[in-house]
Amino acid sequence: MSTARFEAFLARIYVDAEARARFLADPRGEAMRAGLAEREVSALEKIDRVGLELAAQSLQRKRRRRFRRLFHTR
Amino acid sequence: MIPASIAAGSDRFGLGWRRELAVGILSHLDRIDVVEVMADDLFDAPRRERRSLRTLAAQTSVVLHGVSLGAASSAPVETERLDKIARLCAEVEPQFWSEHLAFVRGGGVEIGHLTAPPRTLATVEGAAANLNRARSIVGTAPLVENIATLIDPPGSDRDEVTWISEILATSDCPMLLDLHNLYANGLNFGADPMEALAQLPMDRVAAVHLAGGRWIGASGARRLLDDHLHDVPEPIYDLLAEVGARAPYPVTVILERDGRYPPIELLLDQLERARRSLAAGRARRAARTDRGAA
Repeated sequence: MSTARFEAFLARIYVDAEARARFLADPRGEAMRAGLAEREVSALEKIDRVGLELAAQSLQRKRRRRFRRLFHTR
Repeated sequence: MIPASIAAGSDRFGLGWRRELAVGILSHLDRIDVVEVMADDLFDAPRRERRSLRTLAAQTSVVLHGVSLGAASSAPVETERLDKIARLCAEVEPQFWSEHLAFVRGGGVEIGHLTAPPRTLATVEGAAANLNRARSIVGTAPLVENIATLIDPPGSDRDEVTWISEILATSDCPMLLDLHNLYANGLNFGADPMEALAQLPMDRVAAVHLAGGRWIGASGARRLLDDHLHDVPEPIYDLLAEVGARAPYPVTVILERDGRYPPIELLLDQLERARRSLAAGRARRAARTDRGAA
């Protein structure tokens, strides 16, 4: 568990709304297509869906805030 | 291990440096022991901003805080980022620098903020390797901070306290204990933050973060978001008192505020409240020590 590939998969579904929607529609299929190990696929099938949506929304807000800071403070 | 310079000091209280708070901070340095500066804001800053930081460091104690290293990952941290931290530390000579136990990128995707990795042996070992590299390149080990998460990290096979404790043991780094992060994770995922303080290795705690947050999400599926936009809630002061009772070494307590800035007096009042809470815990600790000696 916690291979670089697994972390990359998580990063993708946290920031990419389309990838997240595809994943939520078919967690096992998307995880397998990404080449993840069976235990990783299995972990993703049990993902905390409420947390995933809230985290993705929060991350998007924080990225926007960070960009605003970067471009308006210098 | 706690650096000797920290172990020999005393409890200190300060604020996170933000442009919007600059005037308030500079006008009240008699009530602020230390200022925490965001390292990432300065990596590519113009020379005048870095000069201002050196001026600030000449007036008060400064510590540096990083957000983009991504140390808690099975992937190696980028050498270029560590070089930037090393240069900044050499320039500012902070009392310490700190980073988060988070992953912030994977497979070329920048998440753009702190994210909890799977809590597994692989991320324990990855974090230890990354933190050892950080120590080697920067010259000092970072204090490592626990983060808040809205999602129960997928693929985890151990709880948060166990995972953090293992990283502290294998990396030999001191800890920056964020009490609101611990509190939020506890409320969101059913753990008792006071119990977490009983389990964490408190002899590693060298600094503490305080902040506030707000509830988000629909009813029945709400989570506490650590947004740094709200006042420090009362339970955090209770946790700080417990830190005072349990932590054997002096701690640097930083109040973080990232927006919706209130008048500086209100933040200073929260710092004073923090001083009283930590002092109450210290008194409990001293009484226990006295009873033990009697």
